[in-house]
Amino acid sequence: MEREIADRSNREGMKGWLNPGRYGWERVSYWLQRLTGVGLLAYFIAHIYETSNITGGPALWEAFLELTQSSLGHIILILVIGMCVFHSANGIRLIFAHGGKGLGKPGRPDYPYDAVSLNYRQKSGIWIALILTVVAMLYGASVLFGGE
Amino acid sequence: MEANKTHMAMLRESQIMKIHYITAIGALFVVAVHILMRIAIMPYGMSLEYENVIANYQSIPYIVLLESILVLVSIHGFNGMRVILLELRQSKRWEDGVTVLTIAAMIALIAYGTRTIIIANGLGVE
Repeated sequence: MEREIADRSNREGMKGWLNPGRYGWERVSYWLQRLTGVGLLAYFIAHIYETSNITGGPALWEAFLELTQSSLGHIILILVIGMCVFHSANGIRLIFAHGGKGLGKPGRPDYPYDAVSLNYRQKSGIWIALILTVVAMLYGASVLFGGE
Repeated sequence: MEANKTHMAMLRESQIMKIHYITAIGALFVVAVHILMRIAIMPYGMSLEYENVIANYQSIPYIVLLESILVLVSIHGFNGMRVILLELRQSKRWEDGVTVLTIAAMIALIAYGTRTIIIANGLGVE
């Protein structure tokens, strides 16, 4: 029997990767973990470049600092704090999940075939990560906008 | 086994994920200390003044901390990027290209950051 040639037209590429809609909160968490990861890497590279200005002397350092110590700079930093906290808290949940912790015991698949692994422990982990993110962003805003 | 040999990866994916998680936990710790140093010892604005930043670069424990952040976050960040790119597309050429590019970018970033640490360590404050 001739094997069917795989239909490559179902490949969604970036569009499929960015669509958080179909699989519930776990998919949103998957999406946010990758999005915050890419954002944090971009910030890290920018931060390495920004701090390298220290080698140019006090004038260059102060000039660059003025650029980042603006309202826009503070807003970007608050976003970075949020990304960092979500990525860390959700990442810890994922490390445990990868080690098999908090996934529940395997069970017979019954209708409506909800995966045992996508249980309240995992959902609580995602919510805790989101709550911690909001708290950290509020604290960051109070430090950055609350005066020196 | 033969198929594995044709791939350029020297480590198994499970070993790479262990490194990914270990660097994540390490980075979490050192970045937390770095942020605390910015806000706990003196006000945030003051900690960014030129003299205070240079003083940080001249303290050996702080240099160790900065270099640890540089290495741990670079490994974790670029491996994370590699994982994302490998999820998007799979072919031997793509996978090898992504691996080479992310390792090269990681080495370049660590080298550039280390250069800053070395030069700033040699700067004096009048």
